[in-house]
Formats: sequence, structure tokens, C-alpha cells
Amino acid sequence: MLKIIIVFLSLLIALPVYAIDGTALLKQVDRNLNPESYESYRKLINIEPDGSKKEFTLFTVKKGVDKVVSLFLAPASEKGRSTLRLGDNMWLYIPNVGKPVRITSLQSVVGGVFNNSDILQLDYAAEYNVEKVEEKGSEYLLYLKAKTKTVAYDRLKIWADKSKKLPTKIECLTEANMLIKTLYFKDVKDFGGGIVRPAVTETDSPLYKGYKSVMIFAKLKAKDFKDEAFTLTFMSNIESLR
Amino acid sequence: MLLSLFYCLSPAFAEEYTFNISETEKKPYHIGGNLEFKPILFGLDKNTSLYKLKFYNRDEGSAIEEYDAKLQLEGSLEKGIAKFSVKTNTDYKKSYLGEDQQTTVYEGFLSIKPSSSLSIDIGKKTLRWGTGYAWNPVAFIDRPKDPDDPELSLEGFIVASADYIKSFQGPLKTVSFTPVLIPVYNHVNNTFGAIDKLNFAGKLYFLFYDTDIDLVVLPGGSKTTRYGVDFSRNITTNFEIHGEFAFINDYKKKFIDSNGTNFEKEYDAKNYLIGIRYLTEKDATYILEYYRNGAGFTSGEMRDYFGFINKGYDSYVSTGSNALLKKASTVTEGNYGKLNSMRDYLYLRVSQKEPFDILYFTPSVTLMANLNDKSFSFSPELLYTGITNLELRLKVAFIAGERLSEYGEKQNDYRAELRARYYF
Repeated sequence: MLKIIIVFLSLLIALPVYAIDGTALLKQVDRNLNPESYESYRKLINIEPDGSKKEFTLFTVKKGVDKVVSLFLAPASEKGRSTLRLGDNMWLYIPNVGKPVRITSLQSVVGGVFNNSDILQLDYAAEYNVEKVEEKGSEYLLYLKAKTKTVAYDRLKIWADKSKKLPTKIECLTEANMLIKTLYFKDVKDFGGGIVRPAVTETDSPLYKGYKSVMIFAKLKAKDFKDEAFTLTFMSNIESLR
Repeated sequence: MLLSLFYCLSPAFAEEYTFNISETEKKPYHIGGNLEFKPILFGLDKNTSLYKLKFYNRDEGSAIEEYDAKLQLEGSLEKGIAKFSVKTNTDYKKSYLGEDQQTTVYEGFLSIKPSSSLSIDIGKKTLRWGTGYAWNPVAFIDRPKDPDDPELSLEGFIVASADYIKSFQGPLKTVSFTPVLIPVYNHVNNTFGAIDKLNFAGKLYFLFYDTDIDLVVLPGGSKTTRYGVDFSRNITTNFEIHGEFAFINDYKKKFIDSNGTNFEKEYDAKNYLIGIRYLTEKDATYILEYYRNGAGFTSGEMRDYFGFINKGYDSYVSTGSNALLKKASTVTEGNYGKLNSMRDYLYLRVSQKEPFDILYFTPSVTLMANLNDKSFSFSPELLYTGITNLELRLKVAFIAGERLSEYGEKQNDYRAELRARYYF
């Protein structure tokens, strides 16, 4: 009888864990990070082991689940460059070259630890399925598997704050569970318009020992744009969206 | 007020990272550009045809130095839906021929954007059609780019053009149409082709099943009618394939035999290119392209041309008359002297991003081979962009081939250059 009670009590404790809808939770995390359509400004800082830094300023616009475009505002050597992502397709427009060229998600247009898919991040739920969710004290741990082979990282482990439903840490892994990089979400800020999210994302990688890259968000606000702004032909005109 | 200029982070991070919000404020104008300094050393090959053509009456030794400087200025002014953009290029060159300086307006056009679906541009601008990296057979209304440095800015033509874009859901995601008017008169675009013509060109772009597809046309006028198609597609996250095909109606090829007799042949030329871009797990990028220049010279025609130069040089040595060499110079300009003027070429560029954990350092090697005569140029280069707004590039090109081959007859055996470019 005692055994039955113990088993029953264990089930009662365990049930809430299994009751978590991972997909719904991931969608909630996505929405808490960004509105589905928004504009924002970001500063990317690459920090070398000796402390020297290189900074980039970007204007970014996202629409729906699969459209993102970014325009480099600084430094002068990068000004006017723009990157476009439409689902799995990515392009880079360099004013000197005068035409967009296809790039891959694993490349990096800025050097350092952030690659193109980090810079042109879509909703996680758009690219990943949730395999399982664990509860770790005050956090959820979501195990994600890429929906297709074209996604930059095959697996993600997302630690999300239970109360805020915001990520605190993400590990990006290969299919063989090799760690590629870790993203740390810090400094939760109120951006206005109901957007409360981390203002800083730090990343490091075992592939770049001693190097660190940081992304700082500012002026993030919900805004809708026409689909035509997310086209190859429009890439030289992104400035007109600001 | 001052406080509002800074996006202050929590104290723990404020010391490390600040984001000056003034950087994000949009200004109605922009002024910028870049300044470049490039010393070059050319190692001469005195036995080649092109050396004889250029240096027949002077001896500059076995190597010559050249000091190039370039200033590119860009500016724009925006008001409402209108924006005026201008880009100028000033080249300064100090070489064995003395000093030379030239300023050219590369672009200067007014752009009107009534909506995100439509923009209209009037003025001088570059269009840069095609998906190829080193060559663009379908770039019917562009000046030819230098395959040795494909990312250099180019001078545009005076045009009136429009872009109409429409997005869709489903496999066809984007359609855009770009009609272009190119007037060619005595003082307007007179290098484009036959004068006193108003040319029309058009490009229709589709993003269809994740593939970029362009259909382009230049239906006669200053040049003979030409049609083209290009495409580009990512097969996987690290593998891209692209191609171009151009059909040129009634192409007129002018050539000479080894005695200097002029010939002209008219035919429909087919130019095409197929290429890939591949990124390895270790961040090495391979760009491989095969280019078929149906409008180019055959090996025999090229040998005749070199033969004629050698005949002209022998004539100069024996009689002191440079008449034949002058004729050879004439047929060289805009004809045999064009970049990659023969039929079949292979381009391979391998660049390794940030090897040995050296951030912003990219060494690469480029091979450009003429498949018809097996001559080639091979160029290792080192690129460093670690200092904000400064780009340093050291490049050496080794040029080799048998006698009477394209690269074998170039005036240089090698070329070494250091390019320092500062953006402001």
C-alpha cells in the first residue's frame, strides 16, 4: 500500500513536467524575445583575448517567421552593407560590389564568434522542434532539434527562466552533440511597448578560445513592414526603412 | 539629455559595453568614402609580345615600380521619397611614364521611391547584373569587371531605370522587373556602342523554389540583340551553385592574321558560366567557375596576333619603323587587349577565414587559367581587416605560360602589390 502511495505521489510530482507543452513554451520564449515583426538597433562587439575590440552597428527589421534584413550603419568600412534572410536563403549586399551575393548561414559577415544565422536570427520555433523539456530549479531546459539540415546548428539546449519565459543561456551543438558556441542572455530591460527582454547577448566558443562577441540591443519596437522590403531588389534601399 | 544619448546597461556591464544611441540617428545626408594607396612592383619579361609592343623603344630594366593612389568619395542627400547619391573616383598614378591623375563620376543619380514596391532612378549608375563572381556574361549594360579584383567599384552609364517588386506566398516568393533606358549620343554613354540610339534593356527576377533566376534582354540598338538568363541557389547551408548564359545575336569579331590583314566574322555567340561557392567546416571558402567566352579568340587567332606583334617588333629593330607595332596597338585596344579575350577559362579562389585564431585575417590563393593554351596566373594574397576602417592587402601574382599563349605573352612575369585602404 505504501508503495502504491509513493508511486502515486511520484506521478503527481512528475506530471507537471510532462504536461509542459514544449512547442508552446518555445513560441512563448520567441515572442518574449521579439515581437513577430519589429525593428531594432544592435551593436556587435568582437573582443579579442588581448582585450582589443571591433564594433559594428546594425539596423535590423524582421517580419513574420522567416524574413529578416539588417543594414550596417558603422563602422565606415561596413556602412551600407546589408544582409537579407528569407527562410533558408541568405544574401549579402556590398555597395562596392553593387549586387547581392548568396551567403551561407555558417559564414560570418562580421568575423568573430557570431555567424550569419546568429545575426539574422529567426524565431527558434520556426527552425526547431522541441524534443523534450526538463525543469531545473527556476529554469526550464528545452532540448531542440533542427527541422531541416539547412539550419546552422543541428541541436540547441535552451535554459529559460520559468517566470519570465526568457532564455538565460543557449548551447549550440552539432548533430554529434559537439558544442559550437554558447550564448548568454543578460541584463533584462524594458524596451517599452510591453517588450521586456535581455539587452545583451554574450557568446563564446570552444572553437575561438579566449574570444568573445557581444550583441547589445536598443530601440527594439514592434513594427510592420511590406513584404517587398525583404527582397533582393530592395537590398540597396534598406536605409529608406529607417 | 546627455543621459538619454547613452543606452546605459546595468552597472555590471556598463563598464564593458555601451551603446551610443546617437550612432543610430538617421541623418538626411551622408558623406564618406575611402582613400587607397597601392605601391606595385612589376617583374618584366622582355621576351614577350606585349613587352615588345609596349617597351619596344625604351628600356626600363627588369622591374618597374608604380605608385597608385585612389580617392573615392560618396555622398547622398535624402528628402522625403527622393534621394540623390553621388560617387566619384580619383586615380593618381606615378609610374615610369610620369604622373597621371584622373577624376571620374562613377555614379550620380536621383532615386524616387513612391513605395516599397517601386523605385525610379535617373542618372549615372551601375547595375551589376549576373550571378558570377569573376565574370558576368549577362552584364549587358555594365562595364567589364576585372576578374583579378571582381569587387572593385565600376563606373556606371547614364540611365533611367525602375524597379518594381512584388512578393508572394508559396514557391514563387518574389518577382521584380527592372526596365532600363540607355541613351547613347555623342557626349552621353558614347563608349557603350553605336551612337544616336536610345537603348532599352530589361531584367525580370524571380525567387522561385529558393532559386534566384534572372531573365535579361538588350534588344538591339547600340549593340546587337542579346538575351540572357542566370541563376543562383544554395544546395545546402555551405554549398551554392550559380550560372549564367548569354546569347549574342550577330556578334562581329574583328581579328588579324600574322601579316596584319584585317578580318571580320559575324556569328551568334554563346557565352556562359557555371560556378560553385563551397564553405568547409574549417571556414575555407572555395569559389570555382568555368567561363566559356563564345565571343573570344581561338588559340590560332591569338597566336596570329602575337605573331604579328613579333613581326612588327622585328621590323622596328631592322628598319626603325614602328608602323606595324602601331597597327598592333590599335587592334589591341578594346579587342585583343580585353580581359580574358580567349574562349575557355577556369577560376578558382580558396580563402581561409581567420586561420590560427587570428581574427580578421584571411589568406587566399587565386588561380585563373586559360584552358585553351594552358597558361595561367596564380595569386596568393593576405588580407587583414583588424584595425577599424583600415584594410591591408598584400598580393603577388605569378603569370606563366608557353610562348604565344595568353598569359605567357603578358609583359609581366610577376606583380607584387600592397594595398592600404582607409574608409571614412
